[in-house]
Amino acid sequence: MANFDLKDRTAIVGVGNSQYGRRLMRSPIDLAADAIANALDDSGLSRDELDGMIVSFGSPIGADADAIAQLLGLKLRTYNQTWAHGRFTASCIQWAAMIVNAGMADAVACLASVSFSGMRRPMMGGASDREGAREAGGGHGEDPAYGMTSPGAGAALVARRYFDRYGTNSRALASVPVAFRKHASMNPAAIMREPFDVEEHQQSRYVCEPLHLLDYCLINDGAACVIVTTSERARDLKQPPVYISGMQGLPGGSEEFIWAYPGLGVVQQSVFEYEAGLQPVYKMAGVTPKDIDALFTYDAFSILAWIALERFGFCKPGEAPSFTQNGRIEIGGELPINTNGGLLSEAHIMGWNHQVEIVRQLRGEAGLRQVTNAEVIQWANAYGDSIIYRK
Amino acid sequence: MAESESRYLKPLPAISSLNQPYWDALKRRELRMQQCDGCGRIWYPPSPLCPGCWSRKFTWTLLSGRGRVNSWVVFHQAYFHSYENDIPYNVVEVELDEGPRILSNLLDVANHDIRARMPVEVYFDDVTDEITLAKFKPRASE
Repeated sequence: MANFDLKDRTAIVGVGNSQYGRRLMRSPIDLAADAIANALDDSGLSRDELDGMIVSFGSPIGADADAIAQLLGLKLRTYNQTWAHGRFTASCIQWAAMIVNAGMADAVACLASVSFSGMRRPMMGGASDREGAREAGGGHGEDPAYGMTSPGAGAALVARRYFDRYGTNSRALASVPVAFRKHASMNPAAIMREPFDVEEHQQSRYVCEPLHLLDYCLINDGAACVIVTTSERARDLKQPPVYISGMQGLPGGSEEFIWAYPGLGVVQQSVFEYEAGLQPVYKMAGVTPKDIDALFTYDAFSILAWIALERFGFCKPGEAPSFTQNGRIEIGGELPINTNGGLLSEAHIMGWNHQVEIVRQLRGEAGLRQVTNAEVIQWANAYGDSIIYRK
Repeated sequence: MAESESRYLKPLPAISSLNQPYWDALKRRELRMQQCDGCGRIWYPPSPLCPGCWSRKFTWTLLSGRGRVNSWVVFHQAYFHSYENDIPYNVVEVELDEGPRILSNLLDVANHDIRARMPVEVYFDDVTDEITLAKFKPRASE
């Protein structure tokens, strides 16, 4: 039971990003400087007014919080950094909301700055990916002794299980990356902008079957930042506030595998009918899935969008394959998803680029890809963490 | 036998105080997992206590070595140099008759013939003098 109500008590007041690209040949700290400076400019806050920071995903792929603070000459009262996983994106923003409400900082920059390019072999599932050899296995289901490695393989295991359980296939799944690429074609910042169709998806090579290359996110460099402060203070700043209306934490335990909702039956999960839609985030924000104007989700692999849709009650388990057809998740459709193009097409900034896009959508700054009358937008992950934002 | 060890270039499991009995049993050609002396639950991966009832009293019980394919993938990209000649290779998630699921490789079957719920049985693969991996082969349905 929450003993203080954070609904609409905090807001995002500034967003910024660096260039996104492959092999930018710029250090993560350099990229972080662009994202933070742009977010400060956007908000109207001065550097010295920024007294908190939470960094998602530090060294060796990203820039560590302490180094950013030192090299950028920040004066922080509170800072923190998460374990190197994309599933902490919402957590960072949630913790920032709690920090400003607790009076431990007034304005908190939340960001990731990453340089994946050139580190793919050693870091993403290869022989020096030490996480794969972690006691009790890797965080994505890795077991290198059997050649089971890389985050995508864990997602492929879920996809195969899902296909089998619900009688669907890769062709149906293609609707997700096809939609996101279409969105990216309207986004000048996106790295991959050339649209493709279902046939091209089917013909792209397998990386870990049943997932094709076009089911996989990009591997790139870049940084993105959002600044959180109290709603009271936000109302006096340069931009219209984007309120954090509801949030729920990242669940863990034996029924939770990061790429699958509970009950699907991978790893040590039980098999049962998941009751979707009964999520605290909706109660806190006072809305239901029907009120959500656009959805953003961590799309390191296409299947994760299906899992998120079902977990958060946009449709029932097994219905995501039909839900995502016929333009329904595209801009102009009933529920546009990842209008920036997502990790699959805009850039892989751990979901931080998605937070920037959400704010721009709610401010009406999204240009060609603007969702009409966007007032309530949700970030909701296959993993179960979520934030509901409103203008 | 150092010679045979040096020829095995694929990743080896990380042995810890928790999982040592699991690997010791495989070396003896036995698939054993922890079973709670209180509630009877059998679990994997190895844990200091029963994830169900938190009892610390458990027995490393002998399993049947039989199970079914729950899910599987086929790697078309090698993330380790030592797997390059095996591409495309499968990784299966086997649901053991006793409940727990483990990752492994399925031998003696073409990748495109792997099916969900296919019955399988354990095969002990002595990859080095120290390490035996639990792999699986198809078994006749009954």
